[in-house]
Amino acid sequence: MESPLHHFEVHTIVPIHIGGLDLSINNAVVAMWVGLAVICGMFLLPTKRGLSLIPGRLQSVLEIAVEFIRNLVYEFIGEEEGRKYVPFIASLFLFILACNLIGLLPGSYTITSQLAVTGVFATGIFILTLIIGFSKHGMHFLGILVPPGIPKVLIPIMIPIEIISMLARPISLAVRLFANMTAGHTVLAVLFGLAMTGPLWLGWLPFGFTVIINGLEIAIAFIQAYIFTTLTCVYIGDVIKLH
Amino acid sequence: MPQFEQVSVFGSLIFWSVISFAILFFLLKKFAFPPILDALDEREKKIRGDIEESEKLKQDVEKIKTDLEEKLRDAHGKAETIVQLAQDEAKKLQEKTVQETEAKVKQVQREAEQEIQSSRSKLLQEIRSYTAALTIASTEKFLKKALDDSDKKRLVDESIEQVIQELEKSQRN
Repeated sequence: MESPLHHFEVHTIVPIHIGGLDLSINNAVVAMWVGLAVICGMFLLPTKRGLSLIPGRLQSVLEIAVEFIRNLVYEFIGEEEGRKYVPFIASLFLFILACNLIGLLPGSYTITSQLAVTGVFATGIFILTLIIGFSKHGMHFLGILVPPGIPKVLIPIMIPIEIISMLARPISLAVRLFANMTAGHTVLAVLFGLAMTGPLWLGWLPFGFTVIINGLEIAIAFIQAYIFTTLTCVYIGDVIKLH
Repeated sequence: MPQFEQVSVFGSLIFWSVISFAILFFLLKKFAFPPILDALDEREKKIRGDIEESEKLKQDVEKIKTDLEEKLRDAHGKAETIVQLAQDEAKKLQEKTVQETEAKVKQVQREAEQEIQSSRSKLLQEIRSYTAALTIASTEKFLKKALDDSDKKRLVDESIEQVIQELEKSQRN
């Protein structure tokens, strides 16, 4: 039986080496591009044709998606401050959603199941929140390490705790997405392996489960994209509001 | 796990995912989100405007309705007053006509009475003169036969007197 983790292996398709860096195009990158191409097509073609006041089906879907993200941003960051973050948050949501969903196609690859990728995005968001915090509040931003209303005696203890909790944010953000995607695909691979290796009178059972788990995975693809973007909004909102 | 073992591909995965995200972000931010957000705002504005307008129209209609009702009430009131006036007028006219008719009837009655009175007195006069003549004639005849018979003469006188009295009495009545 094939290893259920086998499909997480990356195969180089077009080797590119620039100055000792391996920037080869591999199956993970190609799958991601397919997903992003779908997103681009969905969003760019109708907007290029021009949107109408009475929306068609596709326009309704796009508007619901954007409005959903906009409301999310307004809820956690606030309408005044949040307006300029809507494109970034929406792009992030669509990027993660596209990568999650495209990975469900057989033979493709879920790039969000790579901790290196989710880690870079989570770290990038963490750095972004620091930049927003310092540019907005200056050195007062360090006040985020001291929760309001605590006794002065506790401050030396609280500051390290707060630093740890701040640093835990990108880690949890990265690991959550990576683990969910990896786990789902592993479960699917195990069930498929059982279905393929078992005799037909037994094999239909795990196969039936793969159908159900696939449906669940579609939901998880949406939910994880939603959680990632919601937490991003929460973190940005935190550094803007400072508690 | 391949995700931790294939360290050599991390560079390309990170590079291409970041680049791809940047391109997606750029494309969507430049071309897709502004029109979609504008469309959302525009629709929201339009719906808000339409609702406000319909609210305003509703108020206008309400106002027009109350105005019309008030006017209708006024018209009803006026109509009632007019009918009342007409009735009063008709009553007055009727009363006046009745009075006039009564007065006329009374006058006619009075005239008729007067006429009757005058013709009666005329008749009485005639009767008196006839009676007088008759009396004179009969008296003459009596006188011729028994001039000295004073009792008879007295009887005649008395009878004449009685006739006149009765006539006068009936005339008074």
